[in-house]
Amino acid sequence: MNDVLIPVILILLAPLLGGLLYGFERIVKARMQRRIGPPLLQPFYDFLKLAGKRRMMVHSAHAFLGIMHFVSLWFALAVLLLGGDLILVIFLHLLSTSLLILAGYSTRSIFSHLGANRAAISVLAYEPVLIILAVSIFMLNGTFDTAAVFTSSEPLLYKMPLAFIALLLVLPIKLKKSPFDVAEAHQEITGGVELEFSGLFYEAVYTAKWLDYVFCYTLVFLFAGSNILLGAGLLVFTFLYLNALDNSTARVSYKQMLRFSLGVAFSLAFINLLINSLT
Amino acid sequence: MNLASYRKKSPWILHYNAGGCNGCDIEILACLAPKYDIERFGMINTGNPKQSDILLVTGPVTKRSRERLVEIYAQMPEPKVVISCGACASTGGVFRGMYNCEGGVDQFIPVDVYVCGCGTRPEQIIDGVVQALAILEKKTKELEESVKLKREAVKEGHQLNRRHIADEIKPVLS
Ligand code: SF4
Repeated sequence: MNDVLIPVILILLAPLLGGLLYGFERIVKARMQRRIGPPLLQPFYDFLKLAGKRRMMVHSAHAFLGIMHFVSLWFALAVLLLGGDLILVIFLHLLSTSLLILAGYSTRSIFSHLGANRAAISVLAYEPVLIILAVSIFMLNGTFDTAAVFTSSEPLLYKMPLAFIALLLVLPIKLKKSPFDVAEAHQEITGGVELEFSGLFYEAVYTAKWLDYVFCYTLVFLFAGSNILLGAGLLVFTFLYLNALDNSTARVSYKQMLRFSLGVAFSLAFINLLINSLT
Repeated sequence: MNLASYRKKSPWILHYNAGGCNGCDIEILACLAPKYDIERFGMINTGNPKQSDILLVTGPVTKRSRERLVEIYAQMPEPKVVISCGACASTGGVFRGMYNCEGGVDQFIPVDVYVCGCGTRPEQIIDGVVQALAILEKKTKELEESVKLKREAVKEGHQLNRRHIADEIKPVLS
């Protein structure tokens, strides 16, 4: 009973949790720059305001793809939390990202196209690492189900520390954080794929960003197994690491990003896989 | 609890330089820096007209930038507010009467708040934005009433589109 109830509550509250996390992150980021920062509930104020704006859309397919991006991401998160197949989760996440990329290509705005190109390249950078991660978990547990990981008493972190480092290296790409935020690049291409969304339809993309936070932090939590204390520690560490990295680095070009992630992060994950399969 | 009252806590700003000397732009950026930190009021400099509520214009409108100005204004979804920042944007300032200048922003788009000063101070800009927020709230209410009563949405004073203005530009050498 309990092992179904908690994930279901988490899934239903995911946008709320993600919004709080995003608000808290903005405060932490501001404090790191010696600013006061917005209130904690700022993302929800933004949400309310966007709902009241006039509804404009480029064309209906564009708006529909944006909303489907949100829905499929939520679905991916649900499968992950309910203990589904990890490969399925990763591909559902890929599906939701590609819907957004398609939306970016469907408009005539050049910034939107640039953003979609870069988003596709980011997928190329982090996806192989995630797949290798899933395969390593399969090598250890004999199953792709995340339920087995959530209930195992021995944390994955001790068995595959290299994979965790690889995940930490690709998380900034996934969450569009500096130095790997070429896909979003607010000062350069003003948001990329999300450029043409406005009002209620931007809300879907904006909320999907919060869901992405919950998704990524759940991936981090996977490494702690059933050890809640260790999991909380890992989450706090990852949160501080991501924000410190975001505040202290400048954006690199997409080629450097690709070289780094496929060169360093991918090889780390691969070495980890080799070690796992040998022992 | 009235949820609608929280809406004014998140004004997103779009900043456009129509051809000024960059003095005012630097002051606007100073508002975002740690000393004034307008993000604590929820303001973000979005740079994207489709998602912003407040248009901050600096500098006089030049012959080339007027089309972009109107285009950007037209791309912002209602309710929207325009603030003209600095003497240039309000009247033309030191550039008034020059051969490449058209003068103030209000000749092309309706302006709601004028902020004075050649090189506006950050305090003045923040004050202007706070005044603009009250206007934004009023406009939101009007818009909602018109939706409720199934009336046509309230129109801004004079609605222009880009083509109106574009055909006025004549080639210099002919
Ligand atoms: S008002 Fe003065 S400082 Fe501002 S853009 Fe014009 S000339 Fe520059």
